[in-house]
Amino acid sequence: MTAKNILRILLFILMSVLTISFSSLGWSEKMTAKTSSDKTPSIEDIVNRANRVAYYQENDGQAKVTMSIIDSQGRKRYRRFTILRRNDDTEDKRFGNQKFYVYFHRPADVNKMVFLVWKNIDKDDDRWLYLPALDLVKRIAASDKRTSFVGSHFFYEDVSGRIINEDKHELVKTTENYYVLKNTPIKSELVEFSYYYMWIHRQTFLPIKAEYYDKNGEKYRVYEALKVEDIQGLKTVTKSRMKDLRSSEETIIEYMNVKYNIGLSEDIFTERYLRRAPAKYLR
Amino acid sequence: MYFGTSLVQFSIRRPKLITTAMIVITFFLALLTILPSFWPKTFPFLNPLIVDTDPENMLPEDEFVRVFHDQMKREMNLYDMVVLGIVNESHPDGVFNTESLHKIYELTEYAKTLHWTSKEDSNAQVGIVTRDIIAPSTVDNIEQGGLGVVKFEWLMPKPPKSRQESIAIREKLLRLPFMKGTMLSEDGRALCLYLPLTSKDLSYRVSSELQKKIASFKGEERYFITGLPVAEDTFGVEMFKQMAISAPVAMLIIFALMMFFFRKFIVVLSPLIVAMVSVICTMGILIATGNTVHIMSSMIPIFIMPIAVLDAIHIGSEFFDRYQETRNRQETISNVMDDLFMPLLYTSLTTAAGFSSLALTPIPPVQTFGIFVAFGVMIAWFLTVVFIPAYFMLIREETLETFGAVHKNGDPVSHFPLSRFLNWLGKVTYNHAKMIIVATILLVLVAAYGITRITINDNPTKWFAHSHPIRIADKVLNEHFGGTYMAYLSLETKGGIISPDAYALSLSKRIEESLRGYQDTIQGITPVFEELQNEALRSAKTVPSKEGLLHQLTSFAESRMDKSQFEYMEAWEEALLFLDQERQRDQIFKRPEILSYIEELQTHLLSTRTVGKSNSLADIVKTVHRELLLGDPTQYKIPNSSNAVAQCLMTYQSSHRPQDLWHFVTPDFKKTVLWVQLKSGDNKEMSKVTKAIDTYIAANPPPFPLVHNWFGLTYINITWQNKMVSGMLKAFLGSFLVVLLLMTILFRSSSWGLLSMVPLTITIGLIYGAIGLIGKDYDMPVAILSSLSLGLSVDYAIHFLSRSRKLYERYGSWADSYAPVFKEPARAISRNAIVVGLGFLPLLLAPLVPYRTVGTFIAAILFAAGVASLMILPSLITLLEDWLFPKTQLCSFMCNCTTCIITAVATVLLIVINIQQFFSVGWTSITWISIVAIIVLTGTCGLFTISKRCRV
Repeated sequence: MTAKNILRILLFILMSVLTISFSSLGWSEKMTAKTSSDKTPSIEDIVNRANRVAYYQENDGQAKVTMSIIDSQGRKRYRRFTILRRNDDTEDKRFGNQKFYVYFHRPADVNKMVFLVWKNIDKDDDRWLYLPALDLVKRIAASDKRTSFVGSHFFYEDVSGRIINEDKHELVKTTENYYVLKNTPIKSELVEFSYYYMWIHRQTFLPIKAEYYDKNGEKYRVYEALKVEDIQGLKTVTKSRMKDLRSSEETIIEYMNVKYNIGLSEDIFTERYLRRAPAKYLR
Repeated sequence: MYFGTSLVQFSIRRPKLITTAMIVITFFLALLTILPSFWPKTFPFLNPLIVDTDPENMLPEDEFVRVFHDQMKREMNLYDMVVLGIVNESHPDGVFNTESLHKIYELTEYAKTLHWTSKEDSNAQVGIVTRDIIAPSTVDNIEQGGLGVVKFEWLMPKPPKSRQESIAIREKLLRLPFMKGTMLSEDGRALCLYLPLTSKDLSYRVSSELQKKIASFKGEERYFITGLPVAEDTFGVEMFKQMAISAPVAMLIIFALMMFFFRKFIVVLSPLIVAMVSVICTMGILIATGNTVHIMSSMIPIFIMPIAVLDAIHIGSEFFDRYQETRNRQETISNVMDDLFMPLLYTSLTTAAGFSSLALTPIPPVQTFGIFVAFGVMIAWFLTVVFIPAYFMLIREETLETFGAVHKNGDPVSHFPLSRFLNWLGKVTYNHAKMIIVATILLVLVAAYGITRITINDNPTKWFAHSHPIRIADKVLNEHFGGTYMAYLSLETKGGIISPDAYALSLSKRIEESLRGYQDTIQGITPVFEELQNEALRSAKTVPSKEGLLHQLTSFAESRMDKSQFEYMEAWEEALLFLDQERQRDQIFKRPEILSYIEELQTHLLSTRTVGKSNSLADIVKTVHRELLLGDPTQYKIPNSSNAVAQCLMTYQSSHRPQDLWHFVTPDFKKTVLWVQLKSGDNKEMSKVTKAIDTYIAANPPPFPLVHNWFGLTYINITWQNKMVSGMLKAFLGSFLVVLLLMTILFRSSSWGLLSMVPLTITIGLIYGAIGLIGKDYDMPVAILSSLSLGLSVDYAIHFLSRSRKLYERYGSWADSYAPVFKEPARAISRNAIVVGLGFLPLLLAPLVPYRTVGTFIAAILFAAGVASLMILPSLITLLEDWLFPKTQLCSFMCNCTTCIITAVATVLLIVINIQQFFSVGWTSITWISIVAIIVLTGTCGLFTISKRCRV
């Protein structure tokens, strides 16, 4: 075992301990931590942990996001928004429902526009949209979560997280750094892909790459984490890219001022706050 | 004539050498094209046969419309489309029944697979652009999802299972203004799939693949494939079948007719050999020099053949009439060639001049066509004078024993009514000359009226016969839909360029205004905005443009925000928002007033009746706005602020196909495109629409200055058509002058020169008059035919007049000469007209309309020219005998002042037309130059006239 590997394990244990201290279900973290370094964890374990580190980190979180949409002609468009996330106070905060509040700063003409999403595990999400120029709060049906997120190449589902039990997961390969998972949708008629591979980092469990294949077995969409930072002791993807191979276009998302556990109250995530944005969390 | 005689004598002496040389050269040229076409890898240094059926290539590649078309297609991610229509007339719900929709779904899924790895680039895919397919299963629906909920979802994620579901799909589509008249017909009987192609030259392949899939379906649906790319690409494929059928059939008919007249296979064969060899050599050289075989150049063989045969028939005919006189091959052929060498040279030169004048048109394929036909004509001439005598020498005397007309009293006895008819005709022209001329004048007047009624129009779809599937599809689909011909109208801001300094000053004022608006509600806003203001004024000196300045300021604000303390962060965020607002001030296609203007433009487009439907950014905004406001039909309107527009569009983009927006507007919102669906691909309809828009925009100026431009295949076609019409007119004038000059030189007299122009002028007048009267569109083949008719119809005049002059010299008066003129010479002319004219009638059976047109017109031209030469010329000679045959000594043509002046004027005009074409100098300066040139040349003429040489 090289020094580098030892360092990695130590780091990982440290991280796990940190996580445990914030977690209400510390024992399960501990169990995985013990087994993961040399023995391959079960497929459920990998999937659950990946889901957790990617979407459920801590009780809540805040980030300022810059989104660059680059088309095949090299033309760039920017979006700047603040994203607030809060896990519902359910029994298992790491798997349950979540709420997202997305506030647009720029482009200037969509300033103050808000998306509110209640991510529901066992039913369709609830989604609201506030359009300040029309002074209109609108509920949006969200039976399909694989539509573009504000014109980018990310889908709603990529931002809020695909619910893990919607796919059948197989571990197809374990490389030096990654568990490679093949995910096949259970209800294939609801999605445009027929399966996707996911590269999950063996130490951090962060999904680092995903490749989507269409019904003809052609790869057409690739997600990649470009930058991982340590934030409040948690490994967090702070820059990622979604490439559309068919159109040779891509969107890059950068997360800045990422904070966890800022104590967001639940009422922020209600219709009332759409028109009256919670200024102090949006800076 | 020395040259001519010695050339002919040489071939009479060395027939075998001539024949061998001809065969060797022909084979060599044939190999030169066959080898690289079949084994391109073995012969990479040779040019293979390249077919080009793209009407776009009617324009040079750097032509503005083409450059603009390509640029806009790239910028808007637009593609040429194959349109696949599915019609169900028998089901009560039209195509909106489970079976039909199932098939439509399946076809769409199949279409998604129709792309292949590019031959040039293994990373690139060519074929259908999957993500831009417009089909029920690939587009989004936006609608009310119950109680104030707006719903975005796939319109038809899977084929419906019940009647109810099928009807629901129809109702959804009918509610989408985008789809109504585009994807579904308003009666619900028909549905169209729009399949974008990476490149339009794949449309034949794609449509063939679709046909295969369609063939596997059973049921009452009918399928139609249309769209300009398919028409154009299919034309190319059929063109070759056509060439392989028409040319040989024409040959065969000519052969049969010649057999009828000359009855000797071995003799009849010679014109065919000349024609074949001329065609092979010309096409060989065309391909070997790297020229593509375009729709135009594919017609080269059909043009060369009659001309080549024409010359050879003259010799054959004379030989036929005279052979039995002496029964000596050598003597007969020498005599015949003596008489015919000059007329043949001149007929060929004039024909070549007519065609090479096409090089004056600004259309590359027409230039190539003209030059190569001219070239082929000269090859044919050369072969006629060199090979035909040699060929006759190679025929064994015994074979010719029974050949030719039997002579009685020195005249060949006529076996045919033709000779008797011509005899009679000669008498009529002599006795009723005035009547003939009056009748001609009347006809010309009618023709002139006809010419004024000519409509200039073309439409690649109409290149196919009425019964062709493409024509049927075109008809059916355009009855059901808003139109399958796409043209695009682009609107672009015409912003004046502002200097960074001037901009910084106005920006600085707005910063102050904005700051006043905040009234210190945000911490640190005053110092932050002041800092921004200073930075603006400072960096205005260093940046090249307004955009540069905004970019610079944004980077500045971002870096200041990153470094600033928490309490200033919000202020910097506001500064960035302010800068973004500045940037968006130029995004005029988000402004409600501009979108309303687009709406009005669309209404006006519909009022032309040619446009069945148009789609624009305004339609997207209105639809989204309506659905956001509970689907209330009264809310189908443009909201009243650009922010509201932007927010509607952001909502629209939260769909499965966010990229659709960029087909209508650029992301900087400075350029927009209207999709205009025309019901007809006729160029005249497209022209009507462009004119309507020009007039409208001139009368109703937009709220902001805009530049408007059209693109799309339907539009490109009118551009080359306009070029063709003006180009052809110039080419025609040019060749008319060349021919006049040649005639004046040939006859050494301007009066004879002018006389020889009479039949062709009348022929052309009659032909084009007839086109106007019967309402046939003046299209590409018709335009090209003006040069052909010029070249061909002057031939008969040359033969007729040169023989008349010779016979006049012998007999001394027209009264004595006209009868002999109406023997051999008239027979040769009429045989010619009949053989070649009838020979081209089989083209009428062609499924491709341009070939039919060519066939009909060659026949009509030849008949008309034959009749005009045989009736009008003798009548004119009868009436103008004294003027045409002056009793004084004929002197050198230079001495005849009129001749000299006419020659000079013709030359100058010719040069002027050429110069104007190539240097596009304004007419005014050119006019002055030519007037000076005419005066100088006239003076020179005068000098020649009074010079000693002329005083006889």
